[in-house]
Amino acid sequence: RKFRLGSPQGANGLRRRETSLLVADKEKKKKESILDLSKYIDKTIRVKFQGGREASGVLKGFDPLLNLVLDGTIEYMRDPDDQYKLTEDTRQLGLVVCRGTSVVLICPQDGMEAIPNPFIQQQDG
Amino acid sequence: MAANASTNPSQLLPLELVDKCIGSRIHIVMKSDKEIVGTLLGFDDFVKLADMVLEDVTEFEITPEGRRITKLDQILLNGNNITMLVPGGEGPEV
Repeated sequence: RKFRLGSPQGANGLRRRETSLLVADKEKKKKESILDLSKYIDKTIRVKFQGGREASGVLKGFDPLLNLVLDGTIEYMRDPDDQYKLTEDTRQLGLVVCRGTSVVLICPQDGMEAIPNPFIQQQDG
Repeated sequence: MAANASTNPSQLLPLELVDKCIGSRIHIVMKSDKEIVGTLLGFDDFVKLADMVLEDVTEFEITPEGRRITKLDQILLNGNNITMLVPGGEGPEV
């Protein structure tokens, strides 16, 4: 007999089938985003980009590649001395398209706030 | 499109907006402190990359001073570093 139940051959055959089912499944699910942006439509969101830029605006549209359309966009300018510190400086950009390849973070505008640095050690005396 | 693509007809697709901008001024903000203003002639089909062809281009370097170079005669802008596109934008105030 060539085929034996419980043999490594049989087990491998089953795994191969499972693997191909998983791949097919993943291909079907490829377009599905883990973040449903439609719930943010017409809401103000904050977006951070590679390279340190930050902006916020009303989400008007998006695509599966995370390209965004923001309206009434405000860009938050960084301090020229300290690239990581946001200044009070902002500029109005209006209707913009944000490239999804550059987006690193999206959150609702009222879902975040600046807090005092929790990591600073309090030094006594 | 599959049902889970979550696009409804009332929303604005980003690439549609860029497409509408063809023929008019566009202001492109790069990941770095560089910005490009020009007339958009077109962009390619690579949805991930979106290289752009522009005409009558002014290049702005934001941090040092203001305007840097004025170029004409069409450029191909590599889509790799594009962060934001502002249709009809005139660029940073200098």
